[in-house]
Amino acid sequence: MTTEPADVLVIGAGASGGVVGRRLAEAGFSVVCLEQGDWHDRADYPGDKLDWELKARKDWATSPNIRGLPEDYPIVEDSPVSPLMYSGVGGSMLIFAGAWPRMLPSDFRVRSLDGIADDWPITYDDLLPYFRQTDRDFGVSGLAGDPAYPPDPEDPPLPPLPIGAAGLKVARAHTRLGWHWWPEFNSILSAPYDGRRPCVQRSTCQSGCNEGAKASTDLTHWPKAIDNGARLITGARVRRVETDARGLATGATWIDRDGGEHFEPAKVVVLAANAIGTARLLLLSADARHPDGLANSSGLVGKRLMMHPFANVAGLFDEPLMSWQGQFGDLIESLEFYETDERRGFVRGARWGLAPTGGPINTALPSRAGTQVWGPDHHLHVRSHLGHGANWGLFAEDLPDEANRVSLSDSVADSSGIAAPEVRYRMGDNARKMLDFHIERATESLIEAGAHSIEVDRLMRYSGWHLLGTARMGDDPGTSVLDRWNRTHDVPNLYVVDGSSFVTSSGVNPTSTIVAIALRAAEHMIETRFEQAVPA
Amino acid sequence: MTGNDAGVMPDPVAGLDDRARATFAAIADRLIPAAHGMPSAADVVDDARLGFVLRARPDLVGPFLDALRPELGANPDARLAILGRDEPASLAALQLVLVGGYYTDRRVKEQIGYPGQEAIELRSWEIPPYLEEGLIDAVLARGQVWRDPSTGARAVVDGAAKTYAQRYWPAERQSEGGHDGRDDS
Repeated sequence: MTTEPADVLVIGAGASGGVVGRRLAEAGFSVVCLEQGDWHDRADYPGDKLDWELKARKDWATSPNIRGLPEDYPIVEDSPVSPLMYSGVGGSMLIFAGAWPRMLPSDFRVRSLDGIADDWPITYDDLLPYFRQTDRDFGVSGLAGDPAYPPDPEDPPLPPLPIGAAGLKVARAHTRLGWHWWPEFNSILSAPYDGRRPCVQRSTCQSGCNEGAKASTDLTHWPKAIDNGARLITGARVRRVETDARGLATGATWIDRDGGEHFEPAKVVVLAANAIGTARLLLLSADARHPDGLANSSGLVGKRLMMHPFANVAGLFDEPLMSWQGQFGDLIESLEFYETDERRGFVRGARWGLAPTGGPINTALPSRAGTQVWGPDHHLHVRSHLGHGANWGLFAEDLPDEANRVSLSDSVADSSGIAAPEVRYRMGDNARKMLDFHIERATESLIEAGAHSIEVDRLMRYSGWHLLGTARMGDDPGTSVLDRWNRTHDVPNLYVVDGSSFVTSSGVNPTSTIVAIALRAAEHMIETRFEQAVPA
Repeated sequence: MTGNDAGVMPDPVAGLDDRARATFAAIADRLIPAAHGMPSAADVVDDARLGFVLRARPDLVGPFLDALRPELGANPDARLAILGRDEPASLAALQLVLVGGYYTDRRVKEQIGYPGQEAIELRSWEIPPYLEEGLIDAVLARGQVWRDPSTGARAVVDGAAKTYAQRYWPAERQSEGGHDGRDDS
């Protein structure tokens, strides 16, 4: 039983929690992490087994509402997009695709450049050294020199992954069109690295990586944190963050699998539970001194939820592309239409990522676009689709809207009896126009590449991978929850290091930026450790 | 439960009587019939295949059996229509069991040319074809794509590499003897 408070209590063992836990442990802090899920043995992942496509639709589904595992909490959804996440050591990295683009310089200056939303209090250049370090820590594969980004003399640590036959066809098409494309940066190893094996192109990245080639903090960070003394407690579901009369966080109350209640004391508390889980915890931590939830004097905790509305444009080709193989992170990307051009009728833009298309069960069942073929032609459908497709996934920048928010359900609870989060979300007009424009351009891309037909899912329901914005950072405590170092304005020893801090969403997959921001926050905690206010 | 049978799942096909099997076979033959050189799902998805699917997905047993209950009549088209209208979850379970059993069958996989998700050794030391074809150079030749926040316009970067070779063999490195002098651009 712990009696001494830890220097730092991290809540959540996913991407950002792993980064902060490892860095602080390496710097000599005593670190405790509470994680409601478990460690996983990658030998148990279904990707290398015959029943992979069956398990991927249930126990390894990306939606906690479909999985319904004891460590999941239910999410009450009032939204056309379902939030996706995973509870476990490594967090949602266990089921993410592995695409690793950085946010772009313009993403941090949306108000200044486009007159909408807000600027960030930090810039791309502020994050650059942390992008580089986290690329090394996670093991990123990619090709240096992408002109969609400012020149960076430092190469990614590993060479790029293959782009596959589909990627090559589309790359040639973009060359003819004069459009940008680039081999995707992925946090998936293209060669042995840091004791881990390289990718084998099995394309089952979203059901856990059997090889350990795809980065997740259970492989890349927590073992090193534990080697440096960190203590990681699994099966620990946090009920609330506690505070003292001075308004400082004192630790967290958590529930074990048998329903037992515990208190973990700490000098500093770091929330790393994703933009839904963290907002939920701050709201759950309401008390007489904080009737609207902890760190919520701005009233913005839980608000401005952004999830990147996502459309899928699939092209079908006559020739076999073997497109059930290849990293499910992306093969190639295009940022040709990423930056604002107001002539399009909207501001901001979307990133495109070209991905593999799945196995025969996925092909045979009703498609994302609603196509289903039964009867004698079923065989022709499978024959023409399986291994013959290329999918452009389109991530639209989602602008912040206070009406899109996380609140606490008054009728649904998790298996520990704690109120479930309720998500209310609508896609804005700007994003709809943006997706419509990008769908048309992506269709042109695939037809130029030789596709004989196109299938479109204009807004994919199970696409809420990117949970952002519910505790935004800013310099003004009246209009933000966190300062520029991820510390809450209201509680000086309480930090939020997950995607909650995002001021705007950008239009790129956010994990690379989330972990860079988390590392920056950790370095600042180290630099200011002697000025840090702590409870008595 | 004894220690010996802990974790052993009851036979998931045990709940299927002859009538339910006949109903399933009729539906299987309707959804995936023998055609275009492929066998009917009714011939492929036997008890072994059903057992395989339902052991992987025990959550499907209930809705699968619901979809086969006799009250829905003998006509497979009418049954499918009722399920689609009133019980989409049961229909989805029925379709997934059928498709899951069919496409995990070894012979079917061979016939559609699908070996499964294979482990393929990466050859990351080889020069990728897109570099050899000059596709990267074509991207670089078009210049910067990112928007410079200080100007709001597409960035202009003096001295930015216009070819892939320039990035790795810039003039100053060539003069240091780091390059064989061949003009790769």
